[in-house]
Amino acid sequence: MADSSSLIFISGGVRSGKSSFAEKIAADEAALRKAGLHYIATAQISDTEMKERVAHHRTDRLNSGHIWKTWEQPVRLLELANSFDSHDIVLLDCLTTLLNNEFFKADMQWKDHLFQECIIQSILAGITQIKSNCQLLIIVSNEVLNDSTQNNELVLTYQKMLGELHQHIVSMAEQAFLVESGIPLAMKGADCL
Amino acid sequence: MHFVTGGSFNGKAKWVREQYQLSDSPHLWVTAKEEKAIPENFIDLTKDNIIVLEGIEWFLEDFSSRLESIQVRLKWQTQLQDWLAWESKDRQRKLILIGTDISKGIVPLLPEDRKWRDVTGWAYQDTMKLAKQADLIWYGINKKLK
Repeated sequence: MADSSSLIFISGGVRSGKSSFAEKIAADEAALRKAGLHYIATAQISDTEMKERVAHHRTDRLNSGHIWKTWEQPVRLLELANSFDSHDIVLLDCLTTLLNNEFFKADMQWKDHLFQECIIQSILAGITQIKSNCQLLIIVSNEVLNDSTQNNELVLTYQKMLGELHQHIVSMAEQAFLVESGIPLAMKGADCL
Repeated sequence: MHFVTGGSFNGKAKWVREQYQLSDSPHLWVTAKEEKAIPENFIDLTKDNIIVLEGIEWFLEDFSSRLESIQVRLKWQTQLQDWLAWESKDRQRKLILIGTDISKGIVPLLPEDRKWRDVTGWAYQDTMKLAKQADLIWYGINKKLK
């Protein structure tokens, strides 16, 4: 892996093992470089199901034998950028929840093109800044663009924004993986892992 | 024939435009989204050697709304043969089909949507078989399928 700051993008279906894969890369890199391990949690805990999902991920990280510093940042990612320095390994899990939180921040505003563009730009600004401040940024996201619900304006708008974000992030990333049932498929630049 | 597939908003059209340098090459680009039925005779009317059909899932939706599933598949196969015949008449000719993958969501509530999803899957398999080249586009990155 390059010495300068780098970015890895990891996506997959629900329960595909993408988070475990991302956590393993982060922990391995941190051990190798004696770097700090940071976790950006994006979930807004609103119900018991979300509570269970968050607890599940927390237990996994606790059992990993590594010490993670967790940052709760459901919106405005950029605000966190100065919390990291060039020794840090940062894991953001996951982008879909972050977009979701920004998307529904204000009632019905999601229909406004300017609002959509602002969200995309602010998320990308946060990612760019964190990437340049830390040693390695890993972003986890979801595969949700292969369905047939394209006649719903809300879903379509969300998908369009997520697709745009994913394309930007993959083009910025040194490596990109698609995780299928626990198996990571290297889609971009993974020969150096 | 080149078949390009992948999820929606993954940059399939952009990839095709760059791959074939379409800003510098004369071509006919047909987008299926707006005008659902396949435009008639477009293949006889154009003088361009490159034809791009974007959103073939909408052509299939149109077929699916009018025909039984098995007929949709047969009609699509006939359609592919017609296009391949056009392509084979001149070595400069190239047909590029862009089709969004709609196969991995939850089961649609409406029977007509389930039918559309099924026939699209079969039609893509037939398209893949007849295509000389095929690529999967994932957020702007291509994976060569054949």
